[in-house]
Amino acid sequence: MKTNILTLFLTVLTFAGCSEPRRLAPAPETIFNDHDLQVVTSFHNDRTRTISVLYGNDDAVANAGKERAGHVAGEVYKLVTWNLKGNPLWFGGNINGSLVSEETVTVVPGRDGSPQAGYTLELRGGNNRENAAGQKAERISFIFAQQASVFP
Amino acid sequence: MNALKHNRYRNAAAVVAGILFTSFVVLQVNSPTIANPPVTSEFHGPEEVTAILKRSCYDCHSNETNLRWYDKIAPFSYKVAADVEEARKRFNFSEWDSIPKGDQEGKLWYIVNMIDAGRMPLPEYTATHPSAKVSPAELGILKKYVTEISRKHYATGDTAHIVGKPRVSQAPTSLNGIRYFDDYKNWKVISSTGRADNGTMRIIYGNDIAVKALEQDKIRPWPDGAVIAKVVWNSQAPDAEGNVKPGNFNNVQIMVRDAKKFTETEGWGFARFNGLELKPYGKTASFATACMNCHQLAEETGFVFDIPTKRVGR
Ligand code: HEC
Ligand code: HEC
Repeated sequence: MKTNILTLFLTVLTFAGCSEPRRLAPAPETIFNDHDLQVVTSFHNDRTRTISVLYGNDDAVANAGKERAGHVAGEVYKLVTWNLKGNPLWFGGNINGSLVSEETVTVVPGRDGSPQAGYTLELRGGNNRENAAGQKAERISFIFAQQASVFP
Repeated sequence: MNALKHNRYRNAAAVVAGILFTSFVVLQVNSPTIANPPVTSEFHGPEEVTAILKRSCYDCHSNETNLRWYDKIAPFSYKVAADVEEARKRFNFSEWDSIPKGDQEGKLWYIVNMIDAGRMPLPEYTATHPSAKVSPAELGILKKYVTEISRKHYATGDTAHIVGKPRVSQAPTSLNGIRYFDDYKNWKVISSTGRADNGTMRIIYGNDIAVKALEQDKIRPWPDGAVIAKVVWNSQAPDAEGNVKPGNFNNVQIMVRDAKKFTETEGWGFARFNGLELKPYGKTASFATACMNCHQLAEETGFVFDIPTKRVGR
């Protein structure tokens, strides 16, 4: 009997609908601190279920925008990759989830004066992709190959 | 003495009952009737899809409203009539082609998402018409249907030559007074999204107030001064590695938080600027009502869809 009354009470409370229990909270830890870099471009991949944003400083943006040929010392690129997940608020949309990696390419003057690119990879959230030496050159050319998105 | 009092009560009760009965009858006589205008351009889809929509939605969103006897009794009939009128105004399966061709697909995704969120059919309607409920399996059929029509449309991607930037000389202003600005390019990216449903991809920026609100979980409601800007590109077809990259620029959309100014749209001011010429969207300032109607689906996150989230509770 007591439990019945309790159930009734709880049911009434639920229907009175103080408010639906909260299912989603912000996850600001996934926001990338770009330290004043600008967006160069972005892409996503349904096979790897990842989504990436390529950032760059002014020199990098100018290069990816094909405003000048060749690379110059001082260019900084950061390719940030997140997991891709379905948007919990809209069926049909995909949105970035947790951070996966941050790849940095910096162009510095080489010993002979011609610009040289350095590459670092930082993995996030327990990811442990191999950072094989052979992959470095590949990743640098991949990042260099990205075209800047058209902004108004 | 006592008996007299008793009688007086009885008389009063009879009068009250009489008044109630009369008003009930008057209500019935004046009870709205719902006409079914002709079906001019019916929605056509696969049999299994139209069957679900007919059973669950046509009572309100079509000219084939089929009311049960209890829907016709006042005072319920007033509510039902108002719902049908509003529902037909929003969209009407019997006059489907009154929706511009290019917008029909988007409307179908809207439909699926309204069911997915449990907002349609109206819960107060399914309470008295349980057979109108859409089962999870039926929702699955609808999701598959919209996914397939969109895949068909967007599989080739944006193949047009990517057009660069002709600078607009003067920042355009939306009908509700929100002016386009460039500053968002220096803001933090709060999320990035890819949409299969309309072949676009986006980057969403937040100003400092918006980012802080996310960090402090103060988004119900968002603080005044928070601004969110979303840049939209058409998606190209996936390349050899499966990467989907941006094609042509499509539009910029902006949400500005000012609870006192934008009272009609839950405190959010909406603006959209189309194409590289940044043409302000909307014919009258009330265009924002349609923006807000759909953004109701993101009520849980302060009416903003594209924020990074994690599951809580349970
Ligand atoms: C009892 C009447 C009723 C039924 C049944 C009903 N709707 Fe609605 N619908 C409404 C009303 C009223 C509105 C506008 C107010 C609101 O959104 O609550 C609406 C709004 C909508 C909107 C928003 C459209 C826009 O442009 O703003 C969508 C989408 C929608 N309904 C889809 C559906 C679908 C899908 C079904 C069937 C599964 C359905 N509705 C069944 C009454 C109904
Ligand atoms: C049919 C539903 C619908 C309508 C109508 C709609 N939106 Fe949205 N909007 C969405 C969805 C879904 C998203 C998130 C998905 C995405 O962008 O990838 C979104 C995202 C946004 C964002 C980014 C912030 C956020 O909430 O995620 C802005 C800004 C925005 N919309 C502005 C507008 C404006 C301005 C209008 C009216 C001109 C409008 N929307 C009309 C569904 C809608």
